Amino acid sequence: MSKFLEVKNLSVSFPTEDGVVLAANDISYSVDLGETLAIVGESGSGKSVTNLAVMGLHNPQRTQITGQAFINLESGPVDVISAPTEVVRRMRGKTMSMIFQDPMSALHPYYSVGDQIAEAWGLYNSGSKRDGFARAKEMLDLVGIPDVDKRVNEFPHQFSGGMRQRVMIAMALVNNPSLLIADEPTTALDVTVQSQILQLLGGLQKEFNMAIILITHDLGVVAEVADRVCVMYGGRIVENASIDETFYNPLQPYTVGLLNSIPRVDKLGSHRLSAIPGQPPSLINLPRGCAFEPRCQFASSVAGNLCKTTNPNLDEKSTDHFARCHLSTTQLHQLLAKNESGAK
Amino acid sequence: MSLKRLTVRSVIASAAAAAMVATVVSVGAAAPASAAPVTGGTLYFYTHSEQFPNIDPQRNYTGRDIAFFNSYVYRNLVSYKPVAGSAGSSLVGDLATNTGVPSNSAKDWTFTLRSGITWEDGSAITCADVKYGISRTFATEAYTEGPTYAIAMFKIAKLADGSSAYKGPYVKTGQDLYDKAVVCSKDGKTITFHLNRTVGDFNYAMTYPSFSPVKKSKDTGDKYDMRPFSDGPYKIQKYKINDEMILVRNAKWNKASDPFRTPYPDQIIVKFGMDEDVRDMITMKDSIPNGINMDGLQPANNIAFFENPKNASRRANVYDPYTSYLAANNSAGHLDCLDVRKAIFFAFDNQSLINLSGGSTYYGQPGDSPVKPVLGLDYAPTTGNIHDAAWKIEGNAVEAKKYLEKAKVSCPDAYARATDPAQGISYVRTDTATSKKVAVIVKAAMDAAGIVVKFDYVPSGSYNGQLENYAKKYDLIGSGWGADWANASTVIPELWGEGCCNYTSNKDTAAYPAFIKKVNLALVELDRNKQAKMWKELAQYGMDQYWYIRTVFSKTQETWGSKVGGVFYWEPQGNFGFGALYVKP
Amino acid sequence: MKGCDRLLKYISRRLLYTLVLMLIVSIAIYFIFDWLPIDPARLNCTKQCTPDIIEANRHRLGLDVSVMEQWWRFIQGLFHGRVYTQGAECPAPSFGYSFNRHECVTGILAEAFPITLSLALGAFIMWLSLGISLGVIAAKNKGKFLDKASSVFVLVGTSLPTFISGILIVLFVVLKFNIVNPLELGDWHNPFIDPVGWLKTFFFPCATLALAYAATYTRFTRSNVIETSSEDFIRTARAKGLSEKVILRKHTLRAALAPIVTIAGLDFAGLLGGAIITEGIFGLSGLGRLSVKAVTETYDLPIILSTTLLASAFVVVMNLIVDIAYAFIDPRVRQS
Repeated sequence: MSKFLEVKNLSVSFPTEDGVVLAANDISYSVDLGETLAIVGESGSGKSVTNLAVMGLHNPQRTQITGQAFINLESGPVDVISAPTEVVRRMRGKTMSMIFQDPMSALHPYYSVGDQIAEAWGLYNSGSKRDGFARAKEMLDLVGIPDVDKRVNEFPHQFSGGMRQRVMIAMALVNNPSLLIADEPTTALDVTVQSQILQLLGGLQKEFNMAIILITHDLGVVAEVADRVCVMYGGRIVENASIDETFYNPLQPYTVGLLNSIPRVDKLGSHRLSAIPGQPPSLINLPRGCAFEPRCQFASSVAGNLCKTTNPNLDEKSTDHFARCHLSTTQLHQLLAKNESGAK
Repeated sequence: MSLKRLTVRSVIASAAAAAMVATVVSVGAAAPASAAPVTGGTLYFYTHSEQFPNIDPQRNYTGRDIAFFNSYVYRNLVSYKPVAGSAGSSLVGDLATNTGVPSNSAKDWTFTLRSGITWEDGSAITCADVKYGISRTFATEAYTEGPTYAIAMFKIAKLADGSSAYKGPYVKTGQDLYDKAVVCSKDGKTITFHLNRTVGDFNYAMTYPSFSPVKKSKDTGDKYDMRPFSDGPYKIQKYKINDEMILVRNAKWNKASDPFRTPYPDQIIVKFGMDEDVRDMITMKDSIPNGINMDGLQPANNIAFFENPKNASRRANVYDPYTSYLAANNSAGHLDCLDVRKAIFFAFDNQSLINLSGGSTYYGQPGDSPVKPVLGLDYAPTTGNIHDAAWKIEGNAVEAKKYLEKAKVSCPDAYARATDPAQGISYVRTDTATSKKVAVIVKAAMDAAGIVVKFDYVPSGSYNGQLENYAKKYDLIGSGWGADWANASTVIPELWGEGCCNYTSNKDTAAYPAFIKKVNLALVELDRNKQAKMWKELAQYGMDQYWYIRTVFSKTQETWGSKVGGVFYWEPQGNFGFGALYVKP
Repeated sequence: MKGCDRLLKYISRRLLYTLVLMLIVSIAIYFIFDWLPIDPARLNCTKQCTPDIIEANRHRLGLDVSVMEQWWRFIQGLFHGRVYTQGAECPAPSFGYSFNRHECVTGILAEAFPITLSLALGAFIMWLSLGISLGVIAAKNKGKFLDKASSVFVLVGTSLPTFISGILIVLFVVLKFNIVNPLELGDWHNPFIDPVGWLKTFFFPCATLALAYAATYTRFTRSNVIETSSEDFIRTARAKGLSEKVILRKHTLRAALAPIVTIAGLDFAGLLGGAIITEGIFGLSGLGRLSVKAVTETYDLPIILSTTLLASAFVVVMNLIVDIAYAFIDPRVRQS
């Protein structure tokens, strides 16, 4: 039985003056209804690019996309990469929706929130503008905005950041989509508001039985909501595993680095926060070897300069746990243990 | 050099001038005499101007407009005969049956009114109308644009400030004085003017519409300037500034009461506010064949048009009534030294200046007198100045230096001023692009002669109004003049004597009392030939004094469409003989 | 209705401020005119410019009293009308009497304004529609042929001054093909009575002006559309599933064109003061030619004063209108 969304060997590249930017390279992942997939990575790692491709939001003139992304509808699977743009457009907002990082700039400043939600509703429902507003109020109420009769006529700038993101969510969900892609939905928000939004998303997911792809650079956020995690680096998926596997048994040095950079309740006291040294790689002319090699503390432990010369495959290192590393699970565990004792 | 281009006019009165004028006036060839004029049609005039400056008869002082309205809309007691050549300068009775009868040493003049003359409402033109019209000249609180001969010549006392004791028909102060000076006979048939001195050519002054009648009940004051009540063959149906004027036939005009007017077109339309390029294109392409370019063409277009033989039948290149001049300030501390003035005179590069203005064919030639040859009787070539063997049209620096050397001895102060780089002679000009080009030419010529010249630029709009002040302040000042009628009495006293426009400051020179005495004698001389001789002597004297550093006898070009007939140059008016124009079928 | 109240209050405050500004401008004009080295009293007398005639002129023109007195008479005339010399009377509201045109300035303005308004409005509509559509086309085809073609248009439009384009149009189009009789070039036709005549008179002058302005608006629209297209909210609109057409019309243009309201309003207001060159070329007797003649030739103070006041009033009032319009367009402005 296939999952609701199945991305297979998706690559996205942009030609630029300096050369071709290979922003997403051979990406595969899947997510099913009621499931939350977190895609984690630094900015520029290709996580947004991949999902914009799924949404069909790249400018086709300036982007080259290969691979497939199947959405398995009742009527059958649709490859949104190869489907005609009109078909994909009619899936947007209805089958799949997306919310964005900065809810201020993502909402049109000149239209009232009711207007914007009603517009999204009206696209797939026949009904008057009044009906649209009624539906908008329902949705605003659903996402926890108080006093909707008044606020439905207000404009984005009259809302706080968290409230705006609620509006965005209301708008994205107005047509009961099966897939919600949330691109850093909490990054621009206060910490307290962040968790409110995440809780809201979680609640709504249950209610609507949606597949959610949560794009984030914040593993803290991931821990709260995700079922499964894809870690991306340099345009590639470097680790793909369940949430527990990712947090408790990371099999890729980059994931390890990411985990070390966040405070963790479970490892309190035994854990020192540490940043990963160095800069993310340029996506133009990626090195032949492992993209993370220049920053990898364990690269020297791999024999024969292998990290520099050969890009490791995304191997299934243990059951349903994929990682891209020349180190075997045992090797990595040894190195990590050594490190930990060294730190103590 | 700023000419009072449209505000004055000239006259040719004497038959003696005919031969010479014929050589320069080429327009006669334009209109085949054989073609019979045709009645009907619409005659167009088009102009860049937005309006006629003034058309109220008492305020109209523009040569072209005097000729225009005198031909079409209003009549004088006396008019010039509208014919080509020198005959055009002879007077004919218009509203009057005669051209005036002088008595009491030409201090009194009497005119007899014609019978059957009517206004456009059919009412008769009375002596009282004539008297009322002329009285409006005195209403200086309301009108000041027109000529003021009546104020200057009528036997009415002057107040301490020089203004007339009579204040015009609205204020009415001194009305009794006016009533004594201008008298209608009991039967209303004759009108007599009592003058304060002998004016042998008073009847020429009467050709100005400032002496024409106005019906009191139709006097709309300032607004009369938009709609004068007609007694001519056409009346004004519409006059809108920046738009158009439409003249239609005046049904009450009686052909029998008019000795010379020939109203051919049914309608005359003047189009105002035309872009200069559009206007020129109309002329050059003959797109309005029944139209007349009222302005003349822009310089480049003018040359192109006149050098194309195809246009020969619809153009004229003639001497206009004006002399332009550059006056020297003769007062102490300025150019009070004959040798310095002569040095400047010889140094001047007239050729380049004339070329700058369009060349001698179209702009004009160096003159030798303030009196233009078209004045005939009163003009004779002077000696010295441009006839001096050493004079060169392109300037003669060597000769100029010779006079400077003389000046070093004869008047060291003036010499020092003219040659000291810290001082130099001052030349006032309007602030225009042309002025800057003139400055370059003049500076180069003066440099060559070792004379320092400095230019001062003033706003062009107020230049004419400030001439008197500038004349006191600067060493060199340019202007222009045209005779009011065919007598140097309207030139020499005005430019070098007590008249309006003496910018030479010659009054500060020792020789002036003797000069002005002679001028005043000439003014009252009734023997015309004797008078002419006196004017010629006075012109020679002034030129010998180099009161004017340079004079130019200027030319003008007129153009019209191929269906305009009857074109001739009305010499005394310095314009078309508008009344003879007709539209060819 | 609270908002409405506030708006009214705001408008009346701005109008009051406009009034004060007009008063200051009018006083300033009187002082500047007095200070300038020009003397209309001398201009109106010809050969015999004797002191008493100059004095008479000065009295007639009302220049023989102090500057403040002149100004006060002008203000009084606005409410009570004025009597000048024989035959020269102007009922309230009198903006003065032009001795050059023998007419009350109020009447002169009333005749010139419809001409200027026709020109400005016609040009305004032309350049907005042309400029915006070209700008949108260029933006949508960024880097392609149509974009390049429009940039040529922009280059020509911005570098060709109206005194050249106007002459070219009038000589090589209008007259060359006998579209309009040269003698009827600037004739006024009431657009409500004779729309065809009106169009004949105003199409080409409007086009001349529009050509010059449209270029700027093309460039402006193009860059704004391109810039707005990369805004997050456009991506949102796309994510909602809206078609490109709706996105452009409803979302991109709304945001991209909002700033155009400001410049368009001011450009329009500027034109309402008169388009000197275009009016001259096409023989239109609008406010532009009226004022330029008064300033450069006749020194006609009442006309200079009135046209200047009018022009500045247009700018100030149009500013107000733009601000109000902006409040309707941009809800963020409405708040403050």
